This record gives sequence, C-alpha cells and structure tokens, in this order.
Amino acid sequence: IRGIPKLRELLKRQKGEADNALDGVPDVEFTYADAQSIQDEMAELYSYTEEEEFVRSKEAYSREFPFITSWQGLSENEKKACLNQLINKIDSIEDAVRIPAIHALLYLAQGAFEAGMSEDKLLKQSRENVFLMYSCGGLHLIIQLLNLESENPNSAIIIMQKPSISIVDSDVLRAYLNILYIMVETMRYDDPTDSEFMMEQREAFIFELSQPVYDECLHIILFEMVVKFCAGNCPYFPIKKILLLLWKTVLVTLGGTKEIDKVKRQARLDAGLPEAFDERVPDENGRAMTSNGASSNNQDDGTDDIDDSEFKAATRKPRPRPKVRQKDIDLFLDATRSKFVGFQISGDDSTLAGLPHPIHEGLHVMKKHIYTSLGEYQLNAEEEALERPFTAMKFQSKNEVCESLYKSLLPNIPQYMISLLKILLASSPTAKAKTDSINVLVDVLPEEMPTTVLDSMRLGIDVNRHKEIIVKAISGLILLLLKHFKNNHIYQFEFISQNLVCGNCIPLILKFLNQNISSYISTKNFIPQLDFPACVLNKKSEVTAETLENNGSEICCWRNMFSCINLLRILQKLTKWKHSRTMMLIVFKSAPILKRSLKVKHEMMELYVLKLLKAQTKYLGRNWRKSNMKTMSAVYQKVRHRLNDDWAFGNDMDARPWDLQAEEGSLKTCIDRFNNIHYGSGNTGEEIMNEYDEYDVNIHSVLDSSVELSEDFKNAYEKWLEREVFSAPIEWEQLCSCSFKR
Amino acid sequence: GVATSLRNNTLGTLFKEMYFSHDPISTIPGAQWDRPYIQQLIKSDFENISLILEPPEGQDLGVWKYEHLRQFCLQLNDLAVILQVDCFPDVCTQMTATEQWIFLCAAHKTPKECPALDYTRHTLDGAASLLNSNKYFPSRIICNLTANLNRYSTWSRNFYRLHYMHTYHFHKSICNPLVKYQFDHENIRCFKFSFTCRHELYAKYDHQSLD
Repeated sequence: IRGIPKLRELLKRQKGEADNALDGVPDVEFTYADAQSIQDEMAELYSYTEEEEFVRSKEAYSREFPFITSWQGLSENEKKACLNQLINKIDSIEDAVRIPAIHALLYLAQGAFEAGMSEDKLLKQSRENVFLMYSCGGLHLIIQLLNLESENPNSAIIIMQKPSISIVDSDVLRAYLNILYIMVETMRYDDPTDSEFMMEQREAFIFELSQPVYDECLHIILFEMVVKFCAGNCPYFPIKKILLLLWKTVLVTLGGTKEIDKVKRQARLDAGLPEAFDERVPDENGRAMTSNGASSNNQDDGTDDIDDSEFKAATRKPRPRPKVRQKDIDLFLDATRSKFVGFQISGDDSTLAGLPHPIHEGLHVMKKHIYTSLGEYQLNAEEEALERPFTAMKFQSKNEVCESLYKSLLPNIPQYMISLLKILLASSPTAKAKTDSINVLVDVLPEEMPTTVLDSMRLGIDVNRHKEIIVKAISGLILLLLKHFKNNHIYQFEFISQNLVCGNCIPLILKFLNQNISSYISTKNFIPQLDFPACVLNKKSEVTAETLENNGSEICCWRNMFSCINLLRILQKLTKWKHSRTMMLIVFKSAPILKRSLKVKHEMMELYVLKLLKAQTKYLGRNWRKSNMKTMSAVYQKVRHRLNDDWAFGNDMDARPWDLQAEEGSLKTCIDRFNNIHYGSGNTGEEIMNEYDEYDVNIHSVLDSSVELSEDFKNAYEKWLEREVFSAPIEWEQLCSCSFKR
Repeated sequence: GVATSLRNNTLGTLFKEMYFSHDPISTIPGAQWDRPYIQQLIKSDFENISLILEPPEGQDLGVWKYEHLRQFCLQLNDLAVILQVDCFPDVCTQMTATEQWIFLCAAHKTPKECPALDYTRHTLDGAASLLNSNKYFPSRIICNLTANLNRYSTWSRNFYRLHYMHTYHFHKSICNPLVKYQFDHENIRCFKFSFTCRHELYAKYDHQSLD
C-alpha cells in the first residue's frame, strides 16, 4: 500500500525530468549586440500605418523644388543650398511655410527615395544628406523645434477636446522625431568609406548631442516628454519614437558595450586595481599556471588555445575562473578563528596565528582568486572621504558625459524611472487593457478604424510590433543607464536601481517573463513588404492574407530576444548581492518562471537565467534542489563559481531574518548622503567645511560689517576724535608706499 | 621704425586718426594679428570687399572665418543701435523679412515670436556668447573648422535675416546714417554676400528666392 504513492511520485518526477530534457530543441540563432543593423533599426522607426506619409513628404519636397529633376544629380553646393533654404523656412512662424518644409527635409533625410532605387544607394544617399544637414546647423534647430512643439499648450488643448486621438495628431512631432532619429542613427555608425572630414563631423555631432541646447540636453527633453505622456497631459505624443530616440541618444553619447568595457578597464586602472579579472583556467595537465594580470599577452594565449583544441576537441566552453570577494574571505576567517582560536579579530585577513596549516593553504587559494570590484572600491573610498573630509580624495568622474547626464537626471530620476516602468507594463504582451492605464497605441492607430478583415489583421500585427519595439527600447535604455552609471559611480547605479525596485520593477519583469517565452521570441510581427525602404522602393505588391501569415522562416525575432536578455540582465543587476531583493525573487515565485524560460536554447539568455536561479537556490530548500537536478547541473556548468559558496547545499530557509524596508532604508541613507555631498546645494559637506573656514581677512569685509555705536559714544565722539585721531600722528605717505610695495 | 609700430591710440587722438595704420602682416605684433589686420583693411578702404575677404597666404581658414564673423558681429551692433531709432517694438511686432516671412527668435529655450528689435538684440547677444564660448572656441589661434562649420552657418543665417532682409525691406530710410559707420547699406549687403558665398556658409539660392 505504501509503495503506490511512492511509485506515482517517481513517475511524476520522471515526467518532470522529461520536460526538462530539451536537448532536442534547436539552438536559437542570435547574436547579442548594442542594436540591429541600420536598415532594421530604420525600419522599426515607422509603423505600417505611416505608409502614406512617405509619399506625402516626397510630394512636399517636389513642391518645394519643382525644378529639380533628380536630387542625386545635384552638386554638393546645390544640395547645401536647397537644405539651407528648407532650414530657413523651418524657422518661420507660419505653419503653412514650416510644416511642408519639415516634410521635405524628412524626405531628404530618408535618402530622397525614388522607385527602383537600390537599398544600398538609398542608405548612402541618406547618410550623405544627414551629414549635409548637420553641417547646415540642422541639429540644434530641430531639437529646439521639438522642444517648442512638445511644450505647445495650444495644440494639446485642441487635441484633448477631440473624441478620439490617433496618429494624425502627432504629425509634426513625428516628423521632428523621425529626422532626429535618422540623424542620430546614421551618426552612430562609422562607415569605412568615410572621409576624414566626415569622421570629424561625426565626432563633433556626438559631442554636440551631449551638450545642452539652451540649458537642457536632448536626453532631458525626451525624458520630460516621457513623463508628460505618462502623466496623461499629452496622450498624443508618439511614445515609440520618443523612446527609440532616447535610447539611441544615450547609446551614441555614452557608448555601447565596447565603450563600457573600455571605460571599466580604465576606471579600474585608475583605482589601482588590476585591469580585469584574469579569466584563465589552469588546465588539467597542471600546465601554465600563470599569475594574475597576465592578460596583456593575449596573443600567446590565442596560439595556445589553438594547440589545445587540436589535442582535445573542446566541445564545451571552459567555465569562467572562480572569484571570491573580500567579504567571503572575512567570513571564512571568522568561522575558522572561532573554531580554532576561540575569538575573532575583525578586519584582519593576515594574522594566521593559531590556525592549522591546511587553513593557511585554503586562505592562500582564496587570496589568489580574490576580486575587488570597482563598486567595492568606490564604496570604501566614499566611506573614507566621509571620515577624512579634508585629506581624502574626492570622487571625481573621468567620464564627463556620463557625469553631466547624471547631474541633469538627478532631480527627477524617480519620475523618469516610474514612467519608463509604466510604459513597459502597458506594452508588455501579457498586459490586460485597462481603461485607466496609459494608451501606448496612439501613434499606430489610424484616424479611421479598419473595415476589412485584412486591414484589421494588418493593424493587429502593427500593434504587436509597436509594443515589441517599445519594450526593446525601454529595456535597452535601462540596461545602458545601469551599466554606465555603475562604472561611473556605484551610488549612481544604486540610486537608479533603487528607484526601479521601488517602482516594482522586479515583479514587473517577472510578470513579463511569465509567458511562453519561446513563442514570444519567435513571433513574426512584421510584414517585409511594408518595412521602410521596401515599401517606397519596390512596386506596391498587394498585401494578402497569405503574405501576412507566412512571412519568414523559423528565425528568432531579434528585437524580442534582445529585450528578453536585457530584462534578465536588468533583473540580475538589481538583485545581485542584495539579500532582501533576492528574497523578493523568492516571494514572487520566480524560480518556475525562470526555469521555464530555460527552454530557449541560447547561451547568453541561459547564462543570465541560471545566474538568477543560482542566487536563490539557497533559499528554495532541499526539496526544490532535489527535484531540479538538471537545472542545478546547468548552473554548475555555466555560471561562475564563487569559492566557499554554499548555493548547492546552503539551507538557511529562515536562518537570516530579512527586512526589506530596513535594508533599502539604510541603502537610501547612503545614497542620499552621496548625492548631497556631491550634487547638493547648501549641503552637509559644506557645513563641515564652514566650521573650519578660513578666517576672513579681506579688507572689503570691514566696509561690509555694520558697527553698532553706543549712545555714550555718540554723545562724546568729539572727544574721541580729539584724542585718538587728531592728536595721533598719521603718516599718510606710508599708505602710499605700502601700495607701491605690493 | 616701422617694425616697432605700437598700434596704440594715445590719449587725445582724434577720431579721424584712430586706428590708422598700414602695417604689413608681418609687423603686427602678437599671435592674434588677424583682427587688427582685418580692421586695418576695413579702415583703409571699406569698399574693397574682395581684398578684405581674401585670406592671407597660409592662414588657417577656420580662424579667418571666425575673425570675420567676430568683426561682422561687432559692426552689426552699430546697426542695431541705429535701428532703435526707427524700428519700434509696437510697429515691427515680429521679425519679418518681406511680407510672407516671419521668424522665430532662437535665443530662448523655446523659440519665441520676438519683436524685430528684440530679435536683433537677442541674436547679437547669442552670437557674442557663442563666439566667446570657451567650450566651442577655446582658442583664437587654432580653430577646428569642420566642427564649427554648422555653428557659423546658423548665425550667419540669422544675421542675414536681421539686417539684410529686415532692414532693407522695412527701414530703407536708415540706410544713410550708416555711411558714417564705414558701411553703407549696400556695402553690408555685399560684404555679407561675398563673405558667405566665398566661404560657402550661405547659399546663393536664398538670395534669389527672397529678393
């Protein structure tokens, strides 16, 4: 009788194992990068509803220049002249002059397409025009006009009175955003065929983009637009374009993965830490056990690797070399000392008196793998600066662009982050349409709703695509901000991430992942013949039900894969080394969700899921581990190991009491202190300085201070004059010679 | 001797004789010789535009443009002073140039419809602060032409509007007093045009379309 339930359980477990065994699923073909190719990124800028507008802007152009037969045939000076004329018109107050000129300018930025032009040629033409436009002073002007248009109260009032808002309401705004986006996206790439002049122009553009245009830079203008949109004041804003432009602006001005890595290495060197953690695993033959910091001779390593692979076919990527934190060493020492010596010495990892030899050896190994992150270093430096306000080195960022961005974001970071999260929630595929939530679809919905089935299918695809692009832009943006600020200063990163956590980012991301991820990453929400260059270059082919259904083969959708990975990375950044936030992952039952997303066979995605799982296995209990051995071994294989880590057998279910509020509160105090010291006005830092202020010896202070004279003195001042002034000999000449001596 | 010309106006120098010298470039002291050189050319014969605009041999084109723009800005201030007599905010309520063109003043955070006189002042102030900005023009001896090209063109466009189009179309009467400030109106116009055309800052097309 006892055997039957047991048997049932065994069966169940086997079934579970079978579910886990997904080796048959093919790998997802996807390469993570900062963004897609320029063609794809450009195509994602436009929604399919905007199709007619391409033609309209072309017509606007031909009305402006009726005598020009072919744009490509013009000389550079003639092109410049035309652009200047358009830019001149854009300054005009009259809508009738300005708006057609903007559309014509957009047409030129798009590359002055004509039917039958090749895509490469269009791209080249667009690039050329963007450079010309920039050299005519187009960038500042359009940013300014964007600002003007977004703050235009009249249009907001008119639009808000309409019964329904649609894509036509954001016509001018969209044109500005399109032009800016094309400029930014074009300048993001350096083409190998660029002339030296163009390279200089590119640099100047990127510099100018990070500079304020009349006290606000483009980032802030766009963030403010996002906030306004979320507040419901301006529901007609084309939010997708705003977010895309914001993401790209940050990407261009701060730099992508490559720059982040470079900045990090440099910052580590400046802090006196080794440039990077030496990743090399000593191989099994005991050969080549080199010391840390030998990453400079990479070339030799390369040849070694090739030799190795010839010997034994390396089927699996080597696991990253284990790391250990100073904190873990301290914990280890505390434990051993209390065991062998009987008392503890805090903050000392060199005194080994009374410890047996094997412990020495263990410590030696740990110290060889020690890794001090930039964040830890900065935390210590900040503590020190607080203790010794005069002598300690003050934090001084080397990355000016990043620093000035933080400074300008700082006053409103909470609103910005919450707005981003709100939009993310509204555009996640699992979101239910609520009446009170913000409507992110305004800039796809046409003025009149489709009547045929085909049209509504097309609109459906467009809407999904629109949401996916929004998610992509937001996830890309947040991840970039987090990474850059983490390199710049750990507390800047903490401030942003705390605001994200307070905005319920953790459950939000989990909710996002709580769907069929495999089908999300393979959605086919695109219609190739309607994508940007194709829809204007090729002859119009009718969109039929078949074309809507079978487009593309079994490939993964780049943008969705990209946003999934980004969201996982954000989640990991938020929860890493934060006990209470890891507990939040437990509370929200993230393990089954994460485990399910392991179905997607992609190395990078897997790694981040496993990282998140590893952080919480300790708290999931023995039973969970026992029944999820596949996952456990994947963690063992792929994730970096920490020395002395008890992730696989730790059992403190409620060993450590955790208090979310308290932990976040103390972190908040630290962050506030940091912000006050470095960016506050009338701040605590100055108060300390005032106490020790230099004694004021300036002569002007004498004239400035008011002297109270007593009544007695006033009555007898004549006597005082007689005695102290008139009778005393004054040598005025000395005053003169005094000034000469100086 | 010639080489030790001080180029100073001593106390009591008459207006006629101020800044009056004809020194060859090589004798102008200091590294920033372009400015005195340009001023000297203007002083000796302001109608000889092509000579004034001709960059000396070996001169960095960026610096040359920069100095010309600076000089131009300086002299436009005189125009602004004269305009005050004739161009009142309640008459010229907008920056108009010919009947159909009204312009937004770009000197504000968000562009505004300033009266013509305010537009003039704001534009000149904006130009002055740009030309003296440490960030964009850290040096007057070396000037990165490509990086600054777009800034030049924005301001020369505004200048053009301001004094050619507006003054020419609406305040023809004040052309005469200008004579005593070295430029009559036609000259400013020519000066401007040859300057911009030569340096490709501003296009000929505009001239035709707006004339």
